[in-house]
Amino acid sequence: MSAKPTRIGTLALNRRGLLKATGAAAASLAAPGFATRRARAANPIEINHWSWLAASDGEVWAKMIADFNEAHKDKGVQIKMEVVPEEQYVTKVLAAAATGKAPDFGWGTAGKGAQLARDAVTVPLDDLAAKAGLDLADFSAYSISASRYPKYDNKIFMIPMDLMSLQPEINLDHVKEAGLDPAKPPVDGATLLEWATAMTKREGDKVTRSGIMMTGSGVQPTVTWGIVAEQLGFQRASDDLKTACVNPEASKKAMQWVLDLFDKHKVSTRDVTDRYKAFGTGQGSIFWTGPWTLNGYVGQKLNFKTALFPKIGDKHVTYFEMGGLELYQQADTARYEATMQAVKWLSDNSFLWTTVGRGASPRKSILDRPDYKTTGNSWDVRGAFVDGMSFATVGEIPVVNGPNFTIYSGGNFLAKTLEGVWSGQTSIDDAMTQIQTQWQADLDEG
Amino acid sequence: MSVAAHSVERARPEITGEIDKAGYVLVAFFAIPFFLFNILPVLFGFYVAFTRWSIVGAPKWEGLNNFTRAFNDHWVAVAFKNILFYGVIIVPSVTVLGLVFALFVNKRYPLSGLARTLFFAPTVVSATVIGLVWVWLLDTQFGLVNHYLSFFGIDDVPWLTSTRWSLVGVSIASIWWDLGLAFVLFLAALQDIPGEINDAAIVDGANRWQRFRYVILPHLRPVISMVVTLQLISTLRIFSQVYVMTNGGPAGSSSSPIHYIYSIAIVRNLFGYASAIAILLFALILAVTFAQRFLLKERA
Repeated sequence: MSAKPTRIGTLALNRRGLLKATGAAAASLAAPGFATRRARAANPIEINHWSWLAASDGEVWAKMIADFNEAHKDKGVQIKMEVVPEEQYVTKVLAAAATGKAPDFGWGTAGKGAQLARDAVTVPLDDLAAKAGLDLADFSAYSISASRYPKYDNKIFMIPMDLMSLQPEINLDHVKEAGLDPAKPPVDGATLLEWATAMTKREGDKVTRSGIMMTGSGVQPTVTWGIVAEQLGFQRASDDLKTACVNPEASKKAMQWVLDLFDKHKVSTRDVTDRYKAFGTGQGSIFWTGPWTLNGYVGQKLNFKTALFPKIGDKHVTYFEMGGLELYQQADTARYEATMQAVKWLSDNSFLWTTVGRGASPRKSILDRPDYKTTGNSWDVRGAFVDGMSFATVGEIPVVNGPNFTIYSGGNFLAKTLEGVWSGQTSIDDAMTQIQTQWQADLDEG
Repeated sequence: MSVAAHSVERARPEITGEIDKAGYVLVAFFAIPFFLFNILPVLFGFYVAFTRWSIVGAPKWEGLNNFTRAFNDHWVAVAFKNILFYGVIIVPSVTVLGLVFALFVNKRYPLSGLARTLFFAPTVVSATVIGLVWVWLLDTQFGLVNHYLSFFGIDDVPWLTSTRWSLVGVSIASIWWDLGLAFVLFLAALQDIPGEINDAAIVDGANRWQRFRYVILPHLRPVISMVVTLQLISTLRIFSQVYVMTNGGPAGSSSSPIHYIYSIAIVRNLFGYASAIAILLFALILAVTFAQRFLLKERA
């Protein structure tokens, strides 16, 4: 095993008594399980797992863990799962790791764990996966490449579990009402606007039902800009992660494209606060979102189908997100092997997770199963999220300040800067300059 | 030394060492946890403000870099500017409305007990619930507030979705939430004013306004000072409503220092920088509190 020399083990918190006492106390309190110190008996092994999945996907994941425990009840290995709120997850992992009490493994998002990789909180998995017999060749090449951090030895830091993208969900009642053919959804910028215009409802100059579901701030306009900008040839960072904002003119065009939805074509309104609810209640006709919405909309019997994201620019791309399992630094490195075996089992048996849970499977053997398309939600609503993975490439920028680059965010530096554009407070040129300056500084930092 | 003073000194009970030790033990039950979990983290926070630290690894000394960065950070300036606007909207509104409501139910009349309960009720609800409820009420398209405003021919107001209104929208929810405490404090103070003073003013021919201005208001001055101080501190620390209702947006127009500190510390794990901004906020709260106490005292 080639785990990096632990920097946690050489924590300099003991440089001063003050630091030691405060840091340890705060970190211990932040870590779940503080009150009940877990037994780390060698046999039977209890593998500690943290998850932040809490919606309907959380229930499916809980079933996966229960299935593992059932399959291993006589084999001396059990997984103990704790659910930690998503937004506190990384902080809690850091706090737990600083005190040597990190869980054995947990959920991560590809590209978002650069800091954990840098600080050796997450464990490189190349050797462990090979030793456990996990067939990495069965995973899609892109999923494995997204699991690496080029700036941190380019090792694999997570085992991919599901692939997600943003694709348009289309309200079929609105399609019928507008006399459009549901079998021929929009494929490019022109047909997208044509459909959006046909389905938009207005009272005077005011849009009362958006052809393209948008919000005036937050995630939706930011991620839309991110996808369209990359389609038009913009890159947030160069391939070598050294230069920020390749082809800024394309980015500016994308900002204008989003603004035009509100002000020129008038197919979207800025007045929507809750985009999920608004689409669910028929206040929008086309809504690009992720597979995590399917169970909810199917449950409420919304009449919709999912299509592939249209090709608005020269490059056909859409938003990419990958969930996976990462192993955290342990004082007792012997635990890695058992943990990796558990992760392997969960990956090998992730059919349920990637049909009923969320996302598409990163594993070829699962995608090739004849029942993959017929299990879970109907292919009409689920299919685009599987087929669309072929062009879902707009993911995270895998650097420590990666959160500043995230396009699927409602409150980061990027979203706040772009919100100035959407609200007319900042010019497109000024916003572009601010973004370029900040991102270059972020890339320089590593 | 005078004889009187001498006799007072002699009358003091003798304090033995044993009593002292027992006292220390009793105080320790509070003092030690307070020191460990309140004082020490604050001191540690001051230290961290001069470092770069993300929990794992040693804090790396950075001198005044975090403070320099904070002064040059556009979003810090926006958050601190917002907090002044929040203060200007929320503090006077809560104080005046709290007093008006207290005056309204000070006298007993049918259903005044129910009115008291209703005025105080929002205070016992958590800020998160308040935020979620007001997100619905203030929704631009199907919110109740805009629905009722439309009866008066007022167009939909984008309470939470525009840079112009979001701060006002969050303030409305905050006022509704904070009103209860101010109301109770004023009501308690009003009940403490002796009825004879009011009766004497009536006999002297004072009208209702004169009685309020020259009899009631002077009696309430200490409570007004307290309400304003408490409300000011509470407003400077505004977070939950912002987080739930707008997440600081759009374009940071409703953000607050605590919300920004949260996003820097918990989302970005830049604890050194977050601590530096927290110290700036601490300094602001201290300065505003002293200034306000001084001004109200002077006027009193």
